[in-house]
Amino acid sequence: MNKKRIYLDKKILLSFFIAVFFFSLSSCQPKQVKIPEPPADRHQPHDYIGKKGMVVAAHPLAVQAGLEVLKKGGNAIDAAIASAFALNAAEPFASGIGGGGFMVLFLAQENRVTVINFREKAPAQAHPSMFLENGKVKNDWRKAHGLAVAVPGALAGWSYALKKYGTMQLAEVMGRSIQIAEQGFPVSKTFSQINKDEYEKILLNAGATSPYLNQGLPYEPGDTFQNPDLALTLRHIISQGWQDYYKGEIAQRIVEAVQNKGGVITLADLSQYSPTEQPPLKGTYKEHTLYSIQPPGSGGLHIIQLLNITEHWPVKSWGFNSPEYIHHMGEALRFVFADRARYLGDPDFVTVPVEDLTSKKYAAQIAQKIIPDRLQDDYPYGRFDENLMEEENTTHLSVIDEQGNIVSLTQSINDFFGSGIVPDGTGFLLNNHMADFSPQPDSINAPNPYRRPVSSMGPLICFKEGKPFLILGSPGGTRIFPSLTQIIINIIEFGMSLDQAIEAPRFYTYSAQGKARNLFMESRIPPESVRSLEQIGHIIEIRDAFDKFFGGAQGIMVLPKKKILLGGADSRRDGSGAGY
Amino acid sequence: MKKSLIVLLTVFSMATVHFSSPEEIKEDMPRFEQPLLITSAGQSADVQIAGVLAKRAGLTSTLSKGATEKDLANIKTLVLVIGVSMKGLGAAGLDVNQETERVKGLIDAAHGHNTPLLCLHLGGEARRGTLTDQMITSFLPFAQMAIVVKSGNTDGLFTRICEEKNIPLLEAERTADAVELLLQVFKLDQLNPE
Repeated sequence: MNKKRIYLDKKILLSFFIAVFFFSLSSCQPKQVKIPEPPADRHQPHDYIGKKGMVVAAHPLAVQAGLEVLKKGGNAIDAAIASAFALNAAEPFASGIGGGGFMVLFLAQENRVTVINFREKAPAQAHPSMFLENGKVKNDWRKAHGLAVAVPGALAGWSYALKKYGTMQLAEVMGRSIQIAEQGFPVSKTFSQINKDEYEKILLNAGATSPYLNQGLPYEPGDTFQNPDLALTLRHIISQGWQDYYKGEIAQRIVEAVQNKGGVITLADLSQYSPTEQPPLKGTYKEHTLYSIQPPGSGGLHIIQLLNITEHWPVKSWGFNSPEYIHHMGEALRFVFADRARYLGDPDFVTVPVEDLTSKKYAAQIAQKIIPDRLQDDYPYGRFDENLMEEENTTHLSVIDEQGNIVSLTQSINDFFGSGIVPDGTGFLLNNHMADFSPQPDSINAPNPYRRPVSSMGPLICFKEGKPFLILGSPGGTRIFPSLTQIIINIIEFGMSLDQAIEAPRFYTYSAQGKARNLFMESRIPPESVRSLEQIGHIIEIRDAFDKFFGGAQGIMVLPKKKILLGGADSRRDGSGAGY
Repeated sequence: MKKSLIVLLTVFSMATVHFSSPEEIKEDMPRFEQPLLITSAGQSADVQIAGVLAKRAGLTSTLSKGATEKDLANIKTLVLVIGVSMKGLGAAGLDVNQETERVKGLIDAAHGHNTPLLCLHLGGEARRGTLTDQMITSFLPFAQMAIVVKSGNTDGLFTRICEEKNIPLLEAERTADAVELLLQVFKLDQLNPE
């Protein structure tokens, strides 16, 4: 009995030691961040939950990269830059070091909001008529040509943010992106579809052997996408410093690639690039205060305009996506687009009447002009470039850390897969943001040396009673600010949760040359609303139920009383989020 | 060793394609001849993919996204790649109605020239949707044969139309597998000249 007991005790002890041994082994391994699985139906609204910090981005691997940094003690800026690098590897068709963007930062300790503008710039040889051929705009080549490439700003902007407001070194935040590029990941349906959509451009500029094609054909869902060239480039940046991108070997390769495709970027253009730090643009909606970016980013300005106009309407009693609401918002959008074409340019070179455009007085004038039961005969004349219509592109990420620091970052290489040009052996795509300039030489937004083209981006942070309430942004070309405005109204007026607000059906319209254009709607908008709108003169164009044409918003909502963070990620793309 | 592995893999992939097809290549199936005119119904980039597949299959083809009747001269097979892309339509300066009219006109003209129609759908599940489905419903019934990537037919739309109209339907597991089907379709023709 005793012997048996001793034997049993030994057995228990042995099991205990084995368990301890394996536990200690597993705790030595780098811990995998658990990202909660969204519902099987990815369009079903799903709020990610966190207590201390949260990252929401357009790809789960980018979320993982940011969350790891937060858990290691990095702040929101460190995490945002880690996610931004990871997006270059995991969602390379939408953003990366070949592009640019804007970020809005809230620095909790200083209780201050600031903006870093790392939008691309035109090269020195840019000129207003560079996109004309025999006096006509040549749209067939201007987006997939060397002339489409603007001087990239992403790496300089991220490095600036990290150095000034982060706590980590570049190498510390780049690890995960290198791993993603080297090890690869399964291609999603979204990736595959976009890869197929842009096949012609990729074949033309990147070539059949590019990592962006799978043996010369687009990737299928489930294929593994690896980008060893990008991993090498990122390692090179760590060893040589980010300045190498602007002055060293990488710069040389960028210039060669762009010039081989007919572009005009020089080493001098790259070496002269610098991001700028600016005060945010501020607006209010009822008891909420909103901070976003200044022009040439137009998203923030137009969101403020639209919210100012909306303050004049009983939208809550009209009801969500009621004909009254859609009609009034549609008309407001048409006025805003007219303003956009008339006034928006790079404020370093032209005067943009930001204060006038965002004033409550001006909004009241527009609200008064809107007729409840018919369309305007005429809108102020504009030169809105209709060829920008189908861009879906760009990406947004939102981050908050335990101290309450916030980053709302939108970045892009413009069209999906940018210009399609990949500098030799580097694995990254160059933007085609020169196409965001107007091709019309007399436009306020015409290309000129060193100018930044107007952008629709609008990363924002919204405050309620002086405290951060909502961190939000979206891709989607000119749908960015219409979609973000709708999400804000869905939350504030229609009482939706964050992800309900993001997933809710959207609409979009605009004006061009003073005339109303079609009203685009996701097919989930009720047919009775569609019929009523048709009856008062709208020409309706129905899009898919969850159409990435309308963007892919990523947001975080802060509920201070409940001490909870809610994350919302758009199922129109591969949005994901995680908190801890 | 390496050679045998390649042979084994090739045989395996051919077998996969063969077994995935709801229809086998039969001798009484329509025969297609070269040269081909490859065009789009919906202006998606899938038409470019079709061009590459045809090239890989060694077929003599002309690719014209916006082909009209005049492009049918000396053409023995019209290949219609169905898939609507709003972006593609925008770039071509067309709306869906204009594109539909063009394709209708082209199919009528091909019928007048006794040029058989081969429909392709290469974009899989992602290239389905209201507008693409309208094009499939409108144009597939005029085809003599259809080749689709399997994930684009999970709801059986192609199967239904093809069964109703007695159109042979071949399915490829992946886009790249369509090369093998194209080879078979055109080889059959070479083996059994009219």
